[in-house]
Amino acid sequence: MKHARNVIILIVVGSAVLLFGVNVMDLAPIVASAEAQQVDWLFGLHMNVIAFLYVLVNGIMLYSVFAFRRKPDDDSEGAYFHGNTKLEIAWTIIPLITVLFFAFLGSVVLRNVSLAAPNSMDVTVTGRQWSWTFEYPEYGIVSTELNLPVGRQVNFKLQSEDVIHSFWVPEWRLKHDTVPGQDKYIRLTPSEEGVFKVRCAEMCGTSHAYMLATINVMSQEDFDIWVQKKLGVYEGPEGGEEGEVDPVAEGFALSQSGGCLACHSVDGSPLVGPTWKGLYGKTETLTDGSTVVVDEAYLYESIVDPSASIIQGYADVMPKNFGDIFSDQEIGYIIEYIKSLQ
Amino acid sequence: MAADTHAHEHPGAISPAKRLKMNRVGLWLFLLSETFLFGGILVSRFYLWGATRPELNQNLGLAVTLILLISSYFMYRAETAIKHDDRGDFLRSISVTIILGILFVAGVVGLEWQEAPIKPFTGGEFGIYGDIFFFMTGMHAFHVVTGVILLMIVAYRGYKGHLSSENFWPAEAAAIYWHFVDVVWVFFFPALYLMGSVVGPGH
Amino acid sequence: MNRIVRILLGFIVGFVAGIAVLVAVRVLLGLTPMPATLAPVLFSGIGFAILGLLYGFEPSLGLTRGFIGMAIAMIVGVVAVTHFRRAMGLDPAYALEPAWTMAAVLGPIGFMLGVGAVTDWLKWIFGIHTPDQHGPPEGKPAWTRYFGFDQNHKVIGIQYTVTGIVLMGLAGIFALIFRSELAIPGIQFLALDMFNSLVGLHGIVMIAAILLGIGGFANYLVPLMIGASDMAFPRLNGFAFWIAVPSALLIVAALFFGGWDTGWTGYAPLSVRGAMGVNFFMIGVFFFGFSSILGSMNLITTTLYMRAPGMGLFRMPIYVWAVLATALIQLTGTQFIGLSFLMVVLERLFDLGFFNPAEGGNVILFQHLFWFYSHPAVYIFILPGLGIVSELLPVFARKPLFGYKWIALSSMAIALMGFLVWAHHMFAAGMEEALRVPFMYSTMLVAVPTGVKFFSWLGTMWRGKLSFPTPMLFVLASIAVFLIGGLTGPPLATVPTDLFLHDSYFVVGHFHATMFGGFVFPFFAALYFWYPKITGRMYNERLGQIHFALQTAGFYIMSLTMARTGLLGMRRRIADYDPDLGIQNLHIIMTVAGFVIFFGVLVGVYNLIVSARKGEVAAANPWGSRSPEWQIPSPAPEHNYEEPFEVVGEPYDYGLPGSVYVDMHPSGSKTAASPAH
Ligand code: HEA
Ligand code: HEA
Ligand code: HEC
Ligand code: CUA
Ligand SMILES: [Cu+2]
Repeated sequence: MKHARNVIILIVVGSAVLLFGVNVMDLAPIVASAEAQQVDWLFGLHMNVIAFLYVLVNGIMLYSVFAFRRKPDDDSEGAYFHGNTKLEIAWTIIPLITVLFFAFLGSVVLRNVSLAAPNSMDVTVTGRQWSWTFEYPEYGIVSTELNLPVGRQVNFKLQSEDVIHSFWVPEWRLKHDTVPGQDKYIRLTPSEEGVFKVRCAEMCGTSHAYMLATINVMSQEDFDIWVQKKLGVYEGPEGGEEGEVDPVAEGFALSQSGGCLACHSVDGSPLVGPTWKGLYGKTETLTDGSTVVVDEAYLYESIVDPSASIIQGYADVMPKNFGDIFSDQEIGYIIEYIKSLQ
Repeated sequence: MAADTHAHEHPGAISPAKRLKMNRVGLWLFLLSETFLFGGILVSRFYLWGATRPELNQNLGLAVTLILLISSYFMYRAETAIKHDDRGDFLRSISVTIILGILFVAGVVGLEWQEAPIKPFTGGEFGIYGDIFFFMTGMHAFHVVTGVILLMIVAYRGYKGHLSSENFWPAEAAAIYWHFVDVVWVFFFPALYLMGSVVGPGH
Repeated sequence: MNRIVRILLGFIVGFVAGIAVLVAVRVLLGLTPMPATLAPVLFSGIGFAILGLLYGFEPSLGLTRGFIGMAIAMIVGVVAVTHFRRAMGLDPAYALEPAWTMAAVLGPIGFMLGVGAVTDWLKWIFGIHTPDQHGPPEGKPAWTRYFGFDQNHKVIGIQYTVTGIVLMGLAGIFALIFRSELAIPGIQFLALDMFNSLVGLHGIVMIAAILLGIGGFANYLVPLMIGASDMAFPRLNGFAFWIAVPSALLIVAALFFGGWDTGWTGYAPLSVRGAMGVNFFMIGVFFFGFSSILGSMNLITTTLYMRAPGMGLFRMPIYVWAVLATALIQLTGTQFIGLSFLMVVLERLFDLGFFNPAEGGNVILFQHLFWFYSHPAVYIFILPGLGIVSELLPVFARKPLFGYKWIALSSMAIALMGFLVWAHHMFAAGMEEALRVPFMYSTMLVAVPTGVKFFSWLGTMWRGKLSFPTPMLFVLASIAVFLIGGLTGPPLATVPTDLFLHDSYFVVGHFHATMFGGFVFPFFAALYFWYPKITGRMYNERLGQIHFALQTAGFYIMSLTMARTGLLGMRRRIADYDPDLGIQNLHIIMTVAGFVIFFGVLVGVYNLIVSARKGEVAAANPWGSRSPEWQIPSPAPEHNYEEPFEVVGEPYDYGLPGSVYVDMHPSGSKTAASPAH
C-alpha cells in the first residue's frame, strides 16, 4: 500500500509538471487559418493524454527501478503473483474508451473543417515538378503567387500534371496531396494576414525541397486591387506606380514564386537545370552540338519554349507552360534578373 | 518427440510420418501466402476495371478453362495411382496432365495474347484493359509453367522408380500445387471473361 | 606469411580482373571499351578485388562462389538481352534498362547456385541421396561454415544476425551522411539526387537489417526454446537466409544505377519515372520478400509441430508467441509489397499503365497495395522485440510474467488488427474519402493490445527483485523509448491532426521511436542476454553500460528534436530547408545526436567482437533463467539437447519454491546415452 501511495504521488506531481509544460509551450507555428484552431485544439488534447500516459508508465517503471531494486546481499526471489484479471480488464477497457472517444472527436473535427461556407472562393492549384500555379476561375486570373483575402473560405481544387505533390501551409495546418488524373479538394479559411509559403509535402523527385510558392494573405481591399492589376483594369489613386518597379527585384520575386529557383541556382552550383550565374553572354553548347551565345532573345525563347534548344548534359524537363503563366512584361523582368547575375 | 529416437541419426530426429505431416503444413502455408498474391491481383483488377471488362474471345476462354479443369482430374488420378503403386497409370495420367498444362499455356499465351488488345506485344492500344489482362494471365501462366516443370520432375522421378506408396510426397505436393493453380484460374476466369459490362475498342 | 601474400595477390588480381571483365562486357555490347565516368570502373574493380581477397583467405567459401555466380549471371543477363534486342531490330540504346533489369533478376539466381543453396534440391531431382549435413564442412576450419550454405539453425541464426548488424551499420552511415548535409541550411556537399537516394536507401536498408535481425534471433532461439533439434525444413532455412544477401546487394547497387528518388515507399508514378536504380531497388526488395515468406513458413511449422512433450501453446516461452504472430504477418502480407513493386517494374519495362491516369490507371492503387503490407510490416519489426522484453523482464525481476495469456494474445491481436489499418498512411493522399473515418477507428484500436503489454510489464516489475545488468538496461530503455513512439501514434491516427502532421518530421520522430524502442533496443538486449549462450563467453559489462548510455541519451535527443522540427514545419525527404522556420539549431542537435548513437553502437559492436575471444568464460546459466536453452552447456551443442526434455511446469514461475519449467531428463537416468553417437 505504501508503494501504491508513493507511486500515485509521483504520477500526480509528474503529470502536473509535464502538463504544464505542454500547455505553456507553443508546439506549432502560429495559427493562421480557422481550421488550424480546431486542429490545434484536438492536438492539444492529444498532447495532454500523451503527457499523462508518459508519466504514468515511466513513473511506475522508475519507481520500481528504485524501490524494488535488488540489494547487494539479497538473493531472494520477487513476490509471487501471476496476474490480476480485474486489472487486466480495467487497462483494456479504459484505453479502449479513450481511443474511441478520440476517434469520435476526430470525426467531428474532420466534419467541421470540411463544411462548405456559403461564400467560398474557388482556386485551382496545379502542382508540377517543381512549381505551383494558382488559377482563380471567378476572376479569370492565373498566378504563380497565391494571393487571398483574409477571412474568406477558399475551396482549393488540387491537380497535378505529373507526379504526386502535396499542398501544405504549416500555418494553416491541413494538407492534401495533388493526385495526377484526379481532382481533390480541400477547404481552408485564412484568418491572419501575412506572407506564408506553400511547401510541397510529398516526395516528388529531385527538387522536391525547393517546391515552394509564396502566399500573401491580405485585406479584401488589397485583394481587389491585386485582382484589378492582374486583369489590367486597375485605375486607383496610385495608378502611376508602374514606372517605379525595379525590374531586377521584380524578376527575382517572380523566379522565386514561379519555381525557377527550384531548378536553377544563382550561385553557380548545379541543380536540375544550368545555373543562372554568369549565364548572360555565355556560350552554350546544345545537344545537337551547335553553340549559341546567350542573349535576350535566346533567354526569352528558352523560357517560353524550353524544348527548342536543350543544353548539353541536361534533360528536357523544364515545364513548357511558363509562356502562358507569365506575361511578356514579367518575362522581361526575369530576363533582367538573370542578366544581373554576373 | 518420437519414442524410437535411437533409431535415427541424432537425438530429436523426426519420424517419417511426422515429416510428411510437416511437409503438408509447410506446403499449405506457402499456398496461403500465394493466395494473398493472387488476391492482391484480383483486387487490382476490380480497382481498375470496376464493373467493366474488355471484349475477349469467349470460346477460347471457355476452352482453356475446361482444359485446366480436366487436367486437375488427371492429376488427381496420377496421385491416387502412385499411392497404390500403380506406376503405369501414374505415368500415363501425369503425362496427360503435363500435355493439358502445356495446351493451357499455349491457349492463353499463344492464342489469346495475340488476339487480345495488349499493347506491349501486339501494338494494340487498349490502355488499362490490356495491361491488367496481360498481368493476370501472365502471372497465372507463370505459375502454370512452374507447375508443369514440377510435374515433369515428378514424372521423371516416377519413371526412374523413385516414387511408391511409401514415398509419394513429391507427387502429392505437385498435385496440391497443381490444384491450387487450377482453383486460382477458377477465380480469374470469371473476373476476366464474365463479370461486368463489356467495353473495348469496338464499343 | 604465405596467407597474407595470397590475400594481397587475390586483391590485386581481382582488381585487374574486374576492370578486364568490364571492358570485355562493354566490347561484347558494342560499346567503347572504357565508360565515360570512373565510377563503373571502380565499382567493378573493387567488387572483384573483394572476391580475390576472400579467395585469399580461404580458397573455397560459399560466399565467394555466390558472388562469382551472381556476377556471371548478371553479365549473361545484360549480354543476352542486348543481343536479343539487336536481333529483333529494337532500339539498342533503350536496351540499357531491360538488359540491366534482366541482370538484376538473374543475379540472385546465380548467387544461389554459386553459394550452394540449391545443390541438394538439384541432386534430389536426379535421385541422388543427400544426407542432412551436420557440423562444419569436412576438412575445413570451423569458421568457414558461417560463410557458406549451412543447415544448422544456430549457424543460420548467427549468419542472419551478423548480416543484419552489417547492414545496420551501412544504413547508419547513409543516415549520418545525409544528416551532415542537413545540419545547416543550404546545399553543402550532396547533390539533390544523391540526397534523395540516400534517404530511401537508409530507410530500406535499415528495414532489411531489422528483418534480418529478427530472423536471426527467431532462428537461433525458437528451436532451442521449444526443444527441437533444428527447424522443420533446414535446407529451406539456409535458402531463406542466403536469398537475402544478393537482394541486399541489389538494393545497395541501385546507388550505382542512378539511385532512386522516391524514398523507401517507392510511390508511383514517381517511381515509374525515376532512374534505373528504381528497378534494382524494387527487384531487390522483391527477392528479399522470398526470404521473409520462406523463413516464416519454416518458423510456423516448427512452432506448431516440433514442441517438446508437455509444451502446450500457453506454456511456450512468450517470445515464441511473438515470433508466431510475426511469422503470420510475414507469410501473408509480404506478397503485397512484392506485387506493388512488381507492377511498377512491369510498368516501366513494358510501358504499361497501372498507375498512369492517361491510360486509365490509378495512382492510389499503388498505395493501397504497398501499405497493405507495409503497415503490418511495422508490427513485424516490433513484435519480436516486445517479445524479448516480455521474455527478459521476469528473469531480471525474479517474478512471474504478469498476465502471460494476455500478452500472448495481444501479440496475435496486434498482428491481426494490423491488417485492418493500412490506409492511415493515406489520409492526405486522396484515397476514398468515406473510408477515412473507419480507418481512423481501426487504427486507434491497436493502441489497446499494445497498452496491455505495457501495463503487464509494469505489473511484472512491481514488487520484484530487480537487477540491472546490460540486457536489463536495454529492456528498460526499450519500454521508455517505444512508449514515445507508441504515444505519438494516436495523433497521427486521428485524421484532422494527421492532415497537419503527415509527411513532416513529426512522423519521422514517431517511427524512429517505435523502431528503436521496438527493435533496436530489444535487439541489443537480446544480443547481450544470449551472448553467453551463443559464444560461451561473457561480454564486458562496463562497455555495455557505455553503449547503453550513449545510445539512450542520443536517441532521446534525436527523436524529440525530430518531432519538434516536424511541428514547426520541417518536411520529410528534403535536402535543404527554410531557415525561416527557426529549426536550424534543432537540426544541428539532431545531427550530433545521430553521431552519438552511431558511436554508442560502435562501442557495443566492439564489445561483442572482442569479448568473443577475450571475455570471461560464461557459466551455463549466468542469469538463473528457467528457459530450457539455459539448462544445457554454453555454447549450445550442435544438436541442442542430448535427449528430448519434457515440460512439467509454467515457464515463468520465478519465486515459486521447488517449481521447474522443464525436466531435462524425463527418462530418469542421467546417463541415457544415445547409441548412434
Ligand atoms: C515499428 C514500427 C511502428 C509501430 C509499432 C507503429 C505504431 C503505430 N503507428 Fe506508426 N509508423 C511507422 C512505424 C510504426 N508505427 C512508420 C515506419 C511510419 C512511416 C512510414 C512512412 O511513411 O515512411 C508510421 C506512420 C504512421 C502513420 C502515418 C503518418 C503519416 O504519414 O501521416 C500513422 C497514422 O495513423 C501511424 C500510427 C500508428 C499507431 C496508432 C500506432 C500504434 O500501434 C501505437 C500503439 C501504442 C501506444 C498508443 C502506446 C502504448 C499504449 C498505452 C500506454 C495504452 C494507452 C494509450 C492510449 C489510451 C492512447 N504511424
Ligand atoms: C531501424 C530503423 C532505423 C534506424 C535505426 C534509423 C536510424 C537513424 N535515422 Fe532513420 N529512417 C528510417 C529507419 C531508421 N533510421 C526509415 C525507415 C526512414 C524513412 C526513409 C524514407 O523516408 O524513405 C528514416 C528516415 C530518416 C530521416 C528522415 C529523412 C528525410 O525524410 O529527409 C532522418 C533524418 O534525420 C533519419 C535519421 C536517422 C539517424 C541519424 C539515425 C541514427 O540512429 C543512425 C545511427 C547509426 C546506427 C544505429 C548504426 C550503428 C551500427 C553500427 C555502428 C554497426 C557497425 C558494425 C559493423 C559495420 C559490423 N532517418
Ligand atoms: C523542372 C525544372 C525547371 C524549372 C522549374 C525551370 N527550369 Fe529552366 N531549365 C531547366 C533545364 C533542365 C534546362 C536545361 C535544358 C533546356 O535547355 O531545356 C533549363 C534551361 C533554362 C534556360 C536556358 C539556360 C541556358 O543555360 O541556356 C533558361 C533561360 C531557363 N531555363 C529559365 C527558366 C525560368 C525563367 C524558369 C521559371 C519561370 C525556369 N527556367 C524553370 C529546368 C527547369
Ligand atoms: Cu512536389 Cu514535392
Ligand atoms: Cu502504419
